[in-house]
Amino acid sequence: MIVIVDSLNAHEHSDLLIKMHQLRAQVFSGRLGWDVKVIDGMERDEFDELDPAHVVSVDDEGRVVGCMRLLQTTGPHMLTDVFSCLLDGEPPLRSARVWEATRFCVDTNLPGRGIARNSISYVTSEVMIGAFEYGIAAGISDAVAVIDPVMNRVMKRSGNAPYGYLGSPHAMGKVTALAALMDCSDERIARIREFSGIHHDVFNVSVPEVIRK
Amino acid sequence: MNIIDLGTVPSSSENYLTFIEQMCDTLELDFGSYASLNPVTGAVHGYANYPNAWKSHYIKKSLHRIDPALHKAGLSIAPVDWQRFERDQKFKSVFFPAEDFGITSQGLTVPIRGPYGDRGLLSVTRSCSTEEWEKLKRHIMGNLQTAAVHLHDSVMRTNGLIGALGYSALSSREKEVLQWVAAGKLQQEIGDILAISHRTVEIHLRSSRDKLGALTTVQAVGRAIGMGLIHPS
Repeated sequence: MIVIVDSLNAHEHSDLLIKMHQLRAQVFSGRLGWDVKVIDGMERDEFDELDPAHVVSVDDEGRVVGCMRLLQTTGPHMLTDVFSCLLDGEPPLRSARVWEATRFCVDTNLPGRGIARNSISYVTSEVMIGAFEYGIAAGISDAVAVIDPVMNRVMKRSGNAPYGYLGSPHAMGKVTALAALMDCSDERIARIREFSGIHHDVFNVSVPEVIRK
Repeated sequence: MNIIDLGTVPSSSENYLTFIEQMCDTLELDFGSYASLNPVTGAVHGYANYPNAWKSHYIKKSLHRIDPALHKAGLSIAPVDWQRFERDQKFKSVFFPAEDFGITSQGLTVPIRGPYGDRGLLSVTRSCSTEEWEKLKRHIMGNLQTAAVHLHDSVMRTNGLIGALGYSALSSREKEVLQWVAAGKLQQEIGDILAISHRTVEIHLRSSRDKLGALTTVQAVGRAIGMGLIHPS
C-alpha cells in the first residue's frame, strides 16, 4: 500500500522514514553509484530538510519497497540546483501546477516477477498511481521526474511512458539520469492500472484476496 | 479564470483584496485569506475578505500565533484540508469562535513556496455539505493553485528584498515557445515546429505564465515583449 509521509505526519511514520532512507542508500549509493551522502546506512540530502512529501510503498510485511520524493517547482528543488546539469544550464521550469519527483526507486531484491504482486513492475506502478492520485487531488497537472534509464524503460513498458524530456541525459555515477515529463491525469492512471492490474485503492491497507495470491 | 491580473495593477492592499474577492466569486468560495512570512525580516503580510468583526477579534486575540492554518499547512506541499488538523486546544481557540462570526471551519489552505525560501499561505472556506465540498475541491484545485502562486509572487515582488531580484528567468525553450505564440501559432503547430509533444509545449507555456506573473498566455506574451525577452511579431 501507499503512504504519503510529509512534515505534517512524519511523527506518525518515523519507522517508515528510516526504512525509506535505508532503501534510498541501497539504491542510489549502492546500485546506481551516485555521489550521495550516506550516514548510518541512510541516504539523506538537504532537500529532505525542505518539507517534501514522500510517496512510500509498503509491502504486507511492513517493508518499504519503493519510494519517491515530491517538491513544488515554485520553490527550491533539485533541478534548480544539484540536477541543473540535466537542463544543459537552462533555468528550470516553475509552475504552481507542476511538481518535481526525485529519488524514485524500487527495491530490486523483490522476489516477484512480471506484474505479480511484489514485483518491481508492480511496486513501480503502485508508487506512480499513488503519486499521480495525490497530485490530482492537489490540483497538479504535470510532473517532472529525475529518473535513470532502467526506470525509464520500466515506465515505457508499463503504460506510463513520459510524454517528453527536458534538457539531455547526463552521466551520474554508474548510469545516466534524465528529466522526464508526465501528465498527472486520470488517463495516465487508468493506463497504469490497466497494465499492472492494480484496481484497488492504493492508499487502503486491505487488498483484495485475488491480488494477494 | 476571470480575475484581475495583479501584474497589470499597482501593488496595493486594495488590489490584493479585490483579487481575493474575485477569486472567491469565480471559484464559488465564501472567504479567502492570504498570509506570508518574510524569511529575512519576519514580517507577516496578510489580506483577507473576512468580516471586519472577525478580523478585529483575530488580531486582538493574536490568533495568528496559534492558527494551525498558518503554522501547520506550510509543512505540506499539497493543499491541506482543515479536516486534517488535530482538534486540539489551538484549533478550538481559532475555529470555534470563527463559527460564531459566521465563518465555517470547512476550508483548506494552499501552501506556496517561492524560489528564495519565501513561503505563503492561501486559505479559503465554503459553507456547504461535505459532498458538495469534495466536489468543489476537485473542480477548483488547479485554479486555486495558480491563483495562490500569482498572489504570493505579486506580494513578494512588492516587498523590498525579493522585489529587487525580479522575475524567474525564462529558459530558451520557454522564450522560443512564447515567440511562436506571438507569431500566432497554435500549440499543436508549435509542437510540430519544435519536434516536441503538444503537452511539452503546454508545460513550457504554464511555466512561462507563472514566471512572468501572468494568468493567461496573452498576458505572458505581452509581458515578455515588454521585458524585451521576445520580439513583437
